[in-house]
Amino acid sequence: MVRIKYLVIAVLVVILGIWAALHFFQSEERKVKKQFHLLSKWALKEAGENTFTMAQKTRNIGKLFAEHCELKADLISFSGRYTPEEISSYAASARFSFSNLSLQFYDFNVAFPEEGIARVTLTGKLKGRTTTGEDVDETHELECALKKIDNKWVFSYVEVVEALKK
Amino acid sequence: MDGNNKIRQFFFPSLTVRFLIRASLVALFAYLFFGHLCTPILIKGHSMEPTYRDGSINFCWKLRYIFSQPKRHDVVAVRFAGNKVMLLKRVVALAGERIEFRNGKLFVDGKEANEPYVRYPCSWDLPLRQIEKNCVYVVGDNRNMPMENHYFGQAPMKRIIGGPLW
Repeated sequence: MVRIKYLVIAVLVVILGIWAALHFFQSEERKVKKQFHLLSKWALKEAGENTFTMAQKTRNIGKLFAEHCELKADLISFSGRYTPEEISSYAASARFSFSNLSLQFYDFNVAFPEEGIARVTLTGKLKGRTTTGEDVDETHELECALKKIDNKWVFSYVEVVEALKK
Repeated sequence: MDGNNKIRQFFFPSLTVRFLIRASLVALFAYLFFGHLCTPILIKGHSMEPTYRDGSINFCWKLRYIFSQPKRHDVVAVRFAGNKVMLLKRVVALAGERIEFRNGKLFVDGKEANEPYVRYPCSWDLPLRQIEKNCVYVVGDNRNMPMENHYFGQAPMKRIIGGPLW
């Protein structure tokens, strides 16, 4: 019985050690995923959001993107190369047309084809209600590329993949 | 007294090696079965109504198409980037067939399809198109909405990961 008690304590210590290692020494993959979580956090809009918060969030969204980020989204006619400022202003106008909005990411597949480049395939889910009262619930597969600039991962390419072709 | 002991032993078993091994095996089996073979799914949305209601729970049986191909009228799970978010749709046409919608009626190779599962009125019009090799055409059962708001189309076989258990 005493041996079992020590075994359980040892397992708990190992689990705690693994958690601490993962938490304090973030891998590149975790750093890449963190950028998506930040995008999610700043895209989130709750009812009654004030103008200051909105301006701060949209400015932060722009900071996640590279100087010339290529976006490919035939579904919403938003393809081309954009600067962070253009992305911020697009995000501001998109958020403005929603009374509440959330953007969630799932199923991350992260690969590093070369030093300083990350390719991520994932599922993005956009959910919200427009100011005209229309419910929006869109799910799409996304292919993204991120570049490491000044020790920070930024989006350089985002493509919306059509899972079903009408 | 003996009965009380048995009940206590059932709910609060002694922490023996035998118990730990048994609990680990049950946990491993549950993880493999419910995490990879028969995953629980929560149905969100109205695109498969009335067959599958919004908010209902089901399981995705991932071995369904290991040794066979999806057949016409099968309900299949179509994946995006991974397995966390998927679409539940019905196969209406197979590779090589030509489909079109005329006044809400589905035509496959020029013949009107019999679709007893479609209960709500539909007014879609979609020009004739041929299904590519290694693909199937999937549509939801609820077509009582503008065609632009319904996510349907041609899905490559590699995206079909199984089907609902019932």
